[in-house]
Amino acid sequence: MKFGKRLKRQIEETLPEWRDKFLDYKELKKLIRLISSASPSQMAEAEFIYLLNAEINKFNAFFMEQEEDFIIRQKELQERIQSVVATLGPTSIRPLDADYREEMRKIRKDIVNFHGEMVLLENYSNINYTGLVKILKKYDKRTGALLRLPFIKTVLQQPFFTTDLVSKLVKECERTMELVFPITEEGERREEEKERTTVVAEQSIFRNTVAALVTMKEMRRGSSTYSPLSLPPLNLPDSDLFQLHSPVPIV
Amino acid sequence: MEARPALSIRRSDPKQLSNLGASGAMSSSMPILPISLQEKYPKMPDSQQVSIERELRTVSMAQHVNPSVSNSAVVGHLFSSASGFSSDLHFSSASTLERHAKHTPFISQSSNSGASLPLTHSSHTGLFQSVTSSSFAKENSEWCSDTLQGILDLPDNVPLQNSQMQSGGGVASEDCARQSDWQEWVDPLINDDDNLATDWSDLLVDANVADLEPKNTYQASQQLSNFSLHQSQQKIPAHSGEVCPVASPLSSGSSAPTKPRMRWTPELHECFVEAVTQLGGSERATPKGVLKLMKVEGLTIYHVKSHLQKYRTARYRPDSSEGTSERKTTPLEDMSSLDLKTGIEITEALRLQMEVQKRLHEQLEIQRNLQLRIEEQGRYLQMMFEQQCKSGGMDKPKAPSTPDDPSAQSSELIQSPSKAKASEKDKAETENDATHVKRIEESSQQLGCKQKKPETETSDNLKPTTEGGSLSPSAKRARTHDADASSAKSTSN
Repeated sequence: MKFGKRLKRQIEETLPEWRDKFLDYKELKKLIRLISSASPSQMAEAEFIYLLNAEINKFNAFFMEQEEDFIIRQKELQERIQSVVATLGPTSIRPLDADYREEMRKIRKDIVNFHGEMVLLENYSNINYTGLVKILKKYDKRTGALLRLPFIKTVLQQPFFTTDLVSKLVKECERTMELVFPITEEGERREEEKERTTVVAEQSIFRNTVAALVTMKEMRRGSSTYSPLSLPPLNLPDSDLFQLHSPVPIV
Repeated sequence: MEARPALSIRRSDPKQLSNLGASGAMSSSMPILPISLQEKYPKMPDSQQVSIERELRTVSMAQHVNPSVSNSAVVGHLFSSASGFSSDLHFSSASTLERHAKHTPFISQSSNSGASLPLTHSSHTGLFQSVTSSSFAKENSEWCSDTLQGILDLPDNVPLQNSQMQSGGGVASEDCARQSDWQEWVDPLINDDDNLATDWSDLLVDANVADLEPKNTYQASQQLSNFSLHQSQQKIPAHSGEVCPVASPLSSGSSAPTKPRMRWTPELHECFVEAVTQLGGSERATPKGVLKLMKVEGLTIYHVKSHLQKYRTARYRPDSSEGTSERKTTPLEDMSSLDLKTGIEITEALRLQMEVQKRLHEQLEIQRNLQLRIEEQGRYLQMMFEQQCKSGGMDKPKAPSTPDDPSAQSSELIQSPSKAKASEKDKAETENDATHVKRIEESSQQLGCKQKKPETETSDNLKPTTEGGSLSPSAKRARTHDADASSAKSTSN
């Protein structure tokens, strides 16, 4: 399947507020087509670059907005956990077991969703980057120019691609998760897990995540332009988990 | 406040300048510079414009001395793109189109080696002439942006550091240093108009030294973007916690220019929260008060305002801030509170969701690293091809045998695409992607020794292809022909 189609599918599956924030791959391809290699059509080329820059600005703005939200939410989550443990937890003055458990459940859910959103933002960043690389490759091919390398060099430094902070937040989230989740044994739980997932799982985020993984795998499977400088095929153990994705019956 | 001391410490460390620290770096302003300059330059006093134009001309001429093909290609290409911007912004005129016509032949020919240089020169002089004849403000904005872009593109030798820095994550400190330097540069620029011209020529001349030290280039390009961005009353983008407004003139061009984007960090947020609590909580605190208390340079009231708004929303309804999907599952929560077993099931489901998310995160990290390395390789190959063209091609055998790891990898990657592909296919299926590139390197190195001989052949091979179209794609195509054949076979399986 072509990248454009995959991107479109991914966008369809994504969180609704994000839909128009992705790369307008189709439009850029159209512009490239307008660039005829015979006559130097400066307008189309200029438009292309203009749109490219506009897209990058869009990514940056959206990404930083989300990042800011994540920072705030992370802090809030930490404080919430602390207060719940302090007031209702076993070590507090008046431990209220039921309430405590209730609150902890809520917190767990929030943490997982928070984690999910952050990872999806990373995915957003990555997929747009991939799209940019591809579209620039097409452009170079079409015009014979060497726009790709220098352009990508600047892209690599854009805020939307420098996801270190989000990555850090994700890892912190994972650590917090371990503290907050009760310890249970693996094994028999697995079967039940899979069933329950379809019933209880957070709809858009989980679904999105699975879709993202599947997309990533498919995109890297190999194509006619596969070269030593392409990404290798994606190998995911336990990939049967992601088969849930196609008709996930969500409550 | 913590911010202050941190800033002053970094100020004194010049070493950090040499790292073209990745995230949110100033060159992030690169693609968006032209528009900002277009917007802002017409407002500049004429005297400045004149001096700038003069400086730019001398610099652009000087740039032609640089024999690097990619540079002139980039610069030339960006010329046309910049002109395109102006036409997009209703500045269309006949002369613009004329210049476009002159540009494009340049672009398509610039991808050829050597022979393009005289052509470059003539087309440039042609352009220069048309500059004087056309409207003043427009020219200046274009030229400035062109040269800026050209210069910002020059530091090719730095990128290796780039990606390392990115993964190293030691960004904040570098950005602080950069920022403080910007501050130092900004102030004289504001105060003394005469300095502008001289600063320009200094900066641009610095940038024109071939095989620049990363430091020089970096400072030059920093200061350049600083200059241009300062004109638009915006600061340079940086990733650090201290002052991180990011210029996005394209978007701000349409709306008010006083909305620079801020890149928040947890530390900055901490500072913010402290200020807010001091002022009596999120409801009571005012943006002005918070701004004053925070005492962070470069932070504007708009930043604080919007951040405060977000903060209030997050505090007020912590559940709803998690996203719209939250609301759908509230009925489930009631269920779970009643039924303990369901509660456990939900926890397990969450655990599973978490696992999947973790997996995606891992894969994204790996993919990102691979992408970075691929870009590195690509740039390195590009450099090598250029060097080869310059040196006439017969020196090639030396290059791969240099002790540099990346050079060995990349040359061997080219030499043995089919073998690498085969090992890729076999091993990638069964192994973690993180070790993928390593494997390729290993197998390539094993084969590399046997392939010294074919290298001389390939260098001959490269020469004729360079005349044709663009360098790397066609050369790569020749290389990967075998790879494609084998991949076609494997994908059809």
